[in-house]
Amino acid sequence: MKKLGYFILDLKEYITLAVLIVISLILIFLNDNPQIRFLRAAALTSFGTVESGISAIPNVFDMERENKQLRENNIKLANEIASLKESKLENIRLTRLLNFKDKNTLGVVSGKIINKSLLQTRNTITLNVGESDSVAINMPVITDAGLVGRIVATSRNYSIAQILYNKDMRITVKVQRNRLDGILSYDGVSSVTVANIQKSADVNVGDVIITSEYSNIYPAGIPIGTVTETGNLDNLFKKVVVTPLVDFSVLEEVFILKFVSSRERVELEKVFQKK
Amino acid sequence: MTIKFTKYFVILFVLILIQKTLIWLISLSAYNITPDLVLIALVYIAVSEGKIFGSVTGFIAGFTIDLVSGSFLGLTALAYSVTGFAAGGFRTEGDKYLTKLNFLIVIFLGSMISNFIYYLIYFQGLSLNFIEIFSKYILTTSTYTTLVSVIYIIFPRKKVLKEGY
Repeated sequence: MKKLGYFILDLKEYITLAVLIVISLILIFLNDNPQIRFLRAAALTSFGTVESGISAIPNVFDMERENKQLRENNIKLANEIASLKESKLENIRLTRLLNFKDKNTLGVVSGKIINKSLLQTRNTITLNVGESDSVAINMPVITDAGLVGRIVATSRNYSIAQILYNKDMRITVKVQRNRLDGILSYDGVSSVTVANIQKSADVNVGDVIITSEYSNIYPAGIPIGTVTETGNLDNLFKKVVVTPLVDFSVLEEVFILKFVSSRERVELEKVFQKK
Repeated sequence: MTIKFTKYFVILFVLILIQKTLIWLISLSAYNITPDLVLIALVYIAVSEGKIFGSVTGFIAGFTIDLVSGSFLGLTALAYSVTGFAAGGFRTEGDKYLTKLNFLIVIFLGSMISNFIYYLIYFQGLSLNFIEIFSKYILTTSTYTTLVSVIYIIFPRKKVLKEGY
């Protein structure tokens, strides 16, 4: 017995190691044991408290990597924001147009501008609607803000509209306030003006110009623009400069009014003019 | 004696804390190489106090690390117990293996034993083969730990200074 005791004492180092190895292996195999999980959770909680204090020290290497990642995320998010903004603006525009469409008693076709020229003397817009959408030549083009122009060419799926900034455009108009008649045109450079207004006529800055019932193309009462400048053109007539209500530079969607003037009226006027 | 042991455990606790929180300061994170500061202290303690104390200290230190690291519980305990035992085998009169190059050799051997046990079990079931585990983890971590422990021989112990060697 004594010998066994000495033997064990001689081997105490190995026995200690063996016991520790066995405990370690038992721990490895018991990793999913609830008691072990509880013990680990408790240790992690207390250690985490200490760790969170120390983590206030910045890791410069990680910061560089994190910075790079944040910059990438930033670009991604900025793109997403830009796209969302675009959608929001489109939503606002379309809602406004839909409200306008509901209010309008004439039939309308909505169209998207797929091309436009604004810097020439004869400016036009190309629309993604055409004859298949019942769009026809001379139909007025409008927005909720006012008159845009008229259709001058059509194909099956596309159409071209002459806009207010087109030298060929002539529209019989009225001053809304006092029903004074005039002819609206574009000077080919920068201004839309109303001609044929007598020098003594009562036209003020701010007056709204609308389409006249004398027109064969446009229904009466469509707002066109406001008077922004008045002065004397010559001894007989006034110079009246009009700023269109439609902002052509940001225009994206329009409506084509399914308005075709009375053929009987047109025929009669033609016959009379020939005489 | 009690003061000495308390000192050992305080040092180990502080090193565990550093190992788990601030080790990134000296880690080669691009290569996944992290020096093992606790192991350096463990080897020192084991060489100073012997096999039993070394293996028990290794077990306690390893178990604590396992508890707070969320990895395999018992794996570091197993690796450190064996390392503590092996390093304890270098205990000699006059602390021959606690001096300069000898200590670095013991650190390297201890680190190799520890990492060998740890990584071989840790990577079980993964597609890494032994050569990869040995070259990417065991050898590199052991070498880097040994390099970090050079700091021990740069700053000589009071005892060494007193005895003049």
